[in-house]
Amino acid sequence: MTMRLVSAELVESRQILPGQWIQSFNAPELATGSRAGQFVHVRTGDYSGLVLRRPFSINTADPATGIITLHFRTVGRGTEWLTRAREGDRLDMLGPLGRPFEVDPRSRHLLLIAGGLGMAGIRMLADEAVRDGRQVVVLFGAQSASHVYPSSLLPDEVEYVVATDDGSLGHHGFVTELAIDYEAWADQAFACGPHAMLKRLAALAAGRRERLGVAKLGRKRGGGKQDPLGSTSARRKAFLQVSMEQTMGCAVGACLGCTVIGVEGPQRVCREGPVFAAEEIAWESIA
Amino acid sequence: MKAKKRVVTSSGGRLPKVAKPAKGADKPKRTPTVRTIKSAIVPVDRTPRPGSDRPRVETGSAAVADLGAPAAVRTSLAEREALDRIDLSVELSPTRGLRLVNPIMVASGTFGYGVEYGEVVDVQRIGAICCKGTTLKPRAGNLPPRVTETPGGMLNSIGLQNPGVDAVIEKYGPVWQGWKVPVIVNIAGESIEDYVEVARRLDGVPGVAGIELNISCPNVGKGGLQFAIDRDAARAVTAAVRRATDLPLLVKLSPNVADVRPIAKAIEEAGADAITAINTLSGLAVSPDRTRAFLGNTYGGLSGPAIKPVALRIVYEVAQVVSIPIVAIGGITSLADVLDFFACGAVAVQVGTAIFADPELPVRLGEELAAECMRRGLTSYRPLIGTALPKRAGASSAKGAEYRP
Repeated sequence: MTMRLVSAELVESRQILPGQWIQSFNAPELATGSRAGQFVHVRTGDYSGLVLRRPFSINTADPATGIITLHFRTVGRGTEWLTRAREGDRLDMLGPLGRPFEVDPRSRHLLLIAGGLGMAGIRMLADEAVRDGRQVVVLFGAQSASHVYPSSLLPDEVEYVVATDDGSLGHHGFVTELAIDYEAWADQAFACGPHAMLKRLAALAAGRRERLGVAKLGRKRGGGKQDPLGSTSARRKAFLQVSMEQTMGCAVGACLGCTVIGVEGPQRVCREGPVFAAEEIAWESIA
Repeated sequence: MKAKKRVVTSSGGRLPKVAKPAKGADKPKRTPTVRTIKSAIVPVDRTPRPGSDRPRVETGSAAVADLGAPAAVRTSLAEREALDRIDLSVELSPTRGLRLVNPIMVASGTFGYGVEYGEVVDVQRIGAICCKGTTLKPRAGNLPPRVTETPGGMLNSIGLQNPGVDAVIEKYGPVWQGWKVPVIVNIAGESIEDYVEVARRLDGVPGVAGIELNISCPNVGKGGLQFAIDRDAARAVTAAVRRATDLPLLVKLSPNVADVRPIAKAIEEAGADAITAINTLSGLAVSPDRTRAFLGNTYGGLSGPAIKPVALRIVYEVAQVVSIPIVAIGGITSLADVLDFFACGAVAVQVGTAIFADPELPVRLGEELAAECMRRGLTSYRPLIGTALPKRAGASSAKGAEYRP
């Protein structure tokens, strides 16, 4: 679906964790045309000094009810303004924007890895995967038990494994340590979270084909033709896809403000991303 | 109010007589060699000109007469027609021809190549598009992060990321050619030779209506000193590009100088058709952990409402020393901002940062300007220009003795 400007009506707003909110909006145009991994660019109603929109991953989208949800943390004046919006308020949203996650139709086992608010980036993919009859494991990392995303907000069909930095719930350590155990099980992995986490996952995923000796059954479609890096077909074949984050201006590809460094030069998070195959990113450029 | 209505109505009958030159001017594709375009804008001209001077092709005298109808009985269609009849056109280069249907442009770097906003914005209703800064060779730009919001504005340090002039011409030239909105290519370089070569390659390319020089780049040949802050370098680069192309030439001033007037004057003398004022102000943001600068490039350019007073001051100063048209840019978010810049002597404006929050703003400002003219009983927005400039020569700010903090 092409992007458009949508007036979205706030229907529900609740704080699910300290400083973290999920807001539901009635926006049928966005609910029907969006795919997991895409985002909306939201204009805050506080015009006193806020000149930019705020980008948010589409957390869930339900075409049946026309409701989309956004999951965010209050980090500044823009998000604080959002928490004060009331039911019935209309927000100006530009979307859906960016390219979605690409799931290989043959993938049965999907590993979704989220760090903190990264859950918002992969949450909708869990819905899509369950709908398509795939098995889903969600690995989630947070600082402590009080920051863990409530399992009640995930589909019943997914397996939910938690790691906390302080060991107060689940695995004591980083979520990337959990990922190792599931690597062999997973057909594809999709991650969103701090760039350091994504970098670690990319390092784990690199060379997976050689290590695991992934079977090549039957004739490969395309006769060995290499898909160009960044193409939809290349991403569909990639084991690890990551949703990247960057401070953003226009969100449509005009200002070139939201780039990350890719192996083939700067990549716009808003246009070539926010989802990238791990091999597209020049990870050495990320601290 | 009443008198002005009569002027409009009476001129209605005369309009078809002078409709001919407009046909050349209103052609979708501008041809630089056609010199039939009559009216240059004199920035401080305050006399309202009736329609006779600004001929239009689609003149219907009955509809012009409708302008005088009371608002209460006017049908929306008649109102629409009356609004359409208000002359918002502006000629930025009387000798070379750069005619805009309205004075609301979009600023370089904020609108890409005009295609990015897709169906969200009807580009054909914008006065002109200044495309992303273009250089001779492809440039990868600066390290991220490249943008951050600041109070009332934003900092950016994109670093002129672009695919190079040849790729731009190949990819977007055919698209631009199909548009009736003029596309002005913003160009940058690190030496005069760079600028000249880019201008030469753009010369004669269908779909390219003009050139805007970004001179806020370090001049490698002069030890990295910006062209924009050195009067002689600004003069030299303008003159060199002027010799290289017959395209209408705009030069974009930097605000990061002590006194912009000698530079503006040098640019005018070197043959620029118009001046764009202003580029971003140099600024800095600190990372959240306060261990380094936030932007990958350390410094960034400040834009947005925060810089509007600076832009107004510079437009006000430049308007008093040059006679070529001034295109104002800096923090425009509403019609009031546009009118402020007109009052300080600008004949057209560029909208930049505000597009990010409100992509429809440029188109809406054009409509609002027409409505404002109608409300004031004007047939053209020209009487709004220069109203805030000093009324006589020798006013304080012309003597250079004003307060400088």
